[in-house]
Amino acid sequence: MGTIARLSSARHQFTWGMVLAYLTLLVGALIVLYPFVYMIMNSVKPGREILHSPTSLPSEITFSGYVGVFQRLNIGLLFRNSLILAISITILNTGLSALAAYALAKIPFPGRDRIFGFMLVTIMIPGILFLIPTYVMMFNLGWVGQFRSLIIPSAVSVFNIFLLRQFMRGIPDELVEAARLDGGHEALIFARIILPMARPALATVAILNFMGSWNDFFGPLLYLNTPDKWTLQIGLLQFTSAVPGENAQEIWAATTMITLPLVIVYFFMQDQFTKAFANVSFK
Amino acid sequence: MRRTYWGYIFILPWVLLYAAFGLYPFVLSFYLTFFDYSFVAPQNRAFVGFGNWAQGLLDPLFWRSLFNIIYNQTIFIFLKNGLGLLTAALVFRVRHGGGFFRTVFFMPVLTSTIVLTTIFGYLASPTGPIQSLLVNLGLLSEPVFWTFSTWLPMPVLAIMNSWKWFGISFVILLAGLYSIDPQTYEAAAIDGASGWQQFRFISLPQLGSQIFFLLVIDVINGLQMFTEVFAMFGVSGGANHQALTPVLYIYDNAFSRANIGYASTLGLLLALVIALLTVLQFRFGKEE
Repeated sequence: MGTIARLSSARHQFTWGMVLAYLTLLVGALIVLYPFVYMIMNSVKPGREILHSPTSLPSEITFSGYVGVFQRLNIGLLFRNSLILAISITILNTGLSALAAYALAKIPFPGRDRIFGFMLVTIMIPGILFLIPTYVMMFNLGWVGQFRSLIIPSAVSVFNIFLLRQFMRGIPDELVEAARLDGGHEALIFARIILPMARPALATVAILNFMGSWNDFFGPLLYLNTPDKWTLQIGLLQFTSAVPGENAQEIWAATTMITLPLVIVYFFMQDQFTKAFANVSFK
Repeated sequence: MRRTYWGYIFILPWVLLYAAFGLYPFVLSFYLTFFDYSFVAPQNRAFVGFGNWAQGLLDPLFWRSLFNIIYNQTIFIFLKNGLGLLTAALVFRVRHGGGFFRTVFFMPVLTSTIVLTTIFGYLASPTGPIQSLLVNLGLLSEPVFWTFSTWLPMPVLAIMNSWKWFGISFVILLAGLYSIDPQTYEAAAIDGASGWQQFRFISLPQLGSQIFFLLVIDVINGLQMFTEVFAMFGVSGGANHQALTPVLYIYDNAFSRANIGYASTLGLLLALVIALLTVLQFRFGKEE
């Protein structure tokens, strides 16, 4: 931004091109929002109206779908399981990734750059390569059907180390050096100086972790194969594929309930969601 | 001395976890390809040499799945990044409402794939609002049962996924546009360059590294599509495998047919295809 006045008036003056730009963006926004509106609208509609007039506004508002998901889908258990996974992964991964990022950003040790280079190479290896052998390993360990099969492998990740390292490199070296001269222990410097200063980046990484785990389907499908361990995503698919036309109210109530927590957090912390993607490149 | 020591300790969790869940499976995946192996009867493991590799290279369903995913991703990558570029360029240009559009365009990224396939399954069904609108506009003569068609599932899924993912391209490209020195536009405007010319000759070349990043990541992620087709078409990708993707086929071999050695081989073959495309992109992208 910060353009001179003459340019900014040229950039923003009324033209048909500008009208077209606004129109395109507005139509785009409507297309993006419509599925959300459709979902929420149908979640409060009486069952027969969902089938016969899915696109019209509800004639009356009913919350029987929301009541139904507790009775017929056991959504409380699904929420609990999804939360156990998402919270454990978020705490472990954010903490351990930050620890590694601090070492890579601020502690000079022999081989550091080589290790970081190797980490970056591992990002490029497609995950499919690990799918089958990891399953065989988990099966032999007896971890299949247990939360730890998803939590432990996600306890630290290179992409998050990378994001946090970028941010921590921006913290002045003098702060860290001064603490070291005062005899501060590396673990204390990490906890007292680095973590508080890296809070915005930590929030971004925590959100990415939470969203990734909350929305994950493939992992729980592979490893959590008993109904008492099902997550929201698995439960929803089982529920929607049961009988077509059946449970319509509950399906829309459930999709709304699964999506809304993230949307609400997003409205309060939008920058933290989008910042992770703002300055990416391979350079 | 002691400081160095802590550096190693702090990266130790990653080293241990990567050794256990990265390097070990990596080696194991090669080992498994030489065996006929199943969970049901692990004691009947038989050495088959390169048998799984030969079978994979000659398997018409694996090639079908590769064709399907490349067909899908060609449309998806153009559409998703094209929409991201268009919306970023427009939001960069307009004076009002930038914050609103930014909030809205990123929202689909929050939806889970299962929620996405549930909503979209209804919206795109023959009686759903999208097809009714197209019929009313005269663009469709009658509603289409697209999930049963041979050619329609992949483009329709590409459109659905573009709705969900274009917000990532939008955010990355918009940040790229704001990082361009405003004086470049200033000079161009004084020289009488139109809005389109400024976009074509200033914005687009400067977005090179962002576009390159998006294309590389899209190829790596996109070729591994699973959840969408699993949820909408089932484990065989539809009656005629019209929506079979490589990862779906690998899943089917491993978990429905208990054929672990073969599934592992197909996983390696797919990883090789992705690696090849990534190497080509880097070679081609560096010239740009």
